[in-house]
Amino acid sequence: METRVRRIYVKLAGLLLAGSLSSGALAQYDQDIDEIISPDLERREIREAKIDSEDFEFTAYLGGIMSVEDFGSNALYGGSLAYHISEDFFMEAAYGQTTLGESSYERLSGSAPLLTDEERELSMYNLSLAWNFLPGEIFVFDDWALNSNLYLIGGIGNTSFADEEHFTYNVGAGVRVLAQDWLALRLDVRDHIFEHEIFGEPLTTNNLSAQLGISIYF
Amino acid sequence: MKRQPGKFSIRQACWLAAMAGVMLAPVATAAEPAEDEGNLPVTESFSARQFSQQVPQDLPEDAEQVVVGSEFLNLYTGPGRGYVISNVVEYGESLWLLKRRTDWVKVMTRKGKTGWAKISDLDEIFTAEGEQVAVPTPGVDDYREQNLRLGFAYGDFAGANSMGVSLGYRFTQNLSAEVRAAQTIGAYSDSQTYQVAVVHQPFPQWRLSPYFLLGTGINITSPNATIVATEDRQDTAMLTGIGVTTYLSRRFALRAEVANHYLLTSRENNQEIVEWKLGFDVFM
Repeated sequence: METRVRRIYVKLAGLLLAGSLSSGALAQYDQDIDEIISPDLERREIREAKIDSEDFEFTAYLGGIMSVEDFGSNALYGGSLAYHISEDFFMEAAYGQTTLGESSYERLSGSAPLLTDEERELSMYNLSLAWNFLPGEIFVFDDWALNSNLYLIGGIGNTSFADEEHFTYNVGAGVRVLAQDWLALRLDVRDHIFEHEIFGEPLTTNNLSAQLGISIYF
Repeated sequence: MKRQPGKFSIRQACWLAAMAGVMLAPVATAAEPAEDEGNLPVTESFSARQFSQQVPQDLPEDAEQVVVGSEFLNLYTGPGRGYVISNVVEYGESLWLLKRRTDWVKVMTRKGKTGWAKISDLDEIFTAEGEQVAVPTPGVDDYREQNLRLGFAYGDFAGANSMGVSLGYRFTQNLSAEVRAAQTIGAYSDSQTYQVAVVHQPFPQWRLSPYFLLGTGINITSPNATIVATEDRQDTAMLTGIGVTTYLSRRFALRAEVANHYLLTSRENNQEIVEWKLGFDVFM
């Protein structure tokens, strides 16, 4: 009985040995073939850097003024969100609101006002594309050299007041001074061009706004 | 005796051979050690070993360390081509990547100085283990890959002016989905449209690539109160369109489109509006 068990063990061991030998021979053969046919090239693994991007810029207007033709100048509140496409271009969506004053006609004629208080609330938004056409540095006294951009901007938008929507083109220019990589001061001057019919017939108006903003890159 | 042009005398030939020998000899000897150095990965080069102990003091925690594998790397004072080159990092020196803005990366050197490097100059950087690192940049050259795009457009909506914004996502190289919103301002009525659409681009690799568009959405129309006193209408719209897009740069594409809005109104007749659009897309 014992010898039979031992014989089985021996047979098993023999089989295993034969198996390992043949696989060893096969591996040797594979290696030979590899040496003959594999090209002498190292495959390069390229990994993407884990790096944060800062292409968006959020701007809040610290102070602004908007002059609406015939309705005086008033404070402008708002902000904008920009996406920097390259060092040369950025696209921006902006929102602003202001209140219209009295027109000269209303003041001089002494008649009933043309617009109600609610209709004097003006809100606008626009989509624009800007070109950083004069990048540079601004020097403040002896100690400061701040990176800056002078940009040209233009776009389309909507101005809403007097219960009407007005399709608006805007063109302008601005200057951006970077206090830090992520913090900038912006001064922006824009002409908002739209047509309205408040005085009875269509009138194309140029409405200028200037706003000082602080922006954060993220 | 007259000499024949084009034929060298033996003396001339010897002299030329000697000159060639003199000129070639130093080239050959100079090439050998350079080749040896080239076989060694940059992370094990002499300069990398020499500088590897130096780590700047005020290093942000999440900054990634890389080793420069090109001969040198210029660092600018700002993320723009016009800024001054304030630092140069040499082969084998370590750098820490801080952040990316457009096509620039802010880095910190082993001495703790910061500067901006152009991404196209960062094509030879390696981790400490010798693995090559690439800084990802969005752009059209990965048009085969999935990406997100943001677009602004101006349109003529049956005589009215429209402005639109769209956000697209490409699933495969031919198919993408788009969400669009537009505000239209006309003489008689204003409207807002919100749509989802599927865009098929059969030849994405073409310079001027056509696309087809199929979508649905809602149109909210508000007639101008000064003309007629009517209520706002909200209609379901079916959208079909055809357009063409062309890349101006890696990240920027112009696009022109004509689309047919078929409004399923609650009135007797459905309404058809043709819209022409011109806009641009930016890859994010």
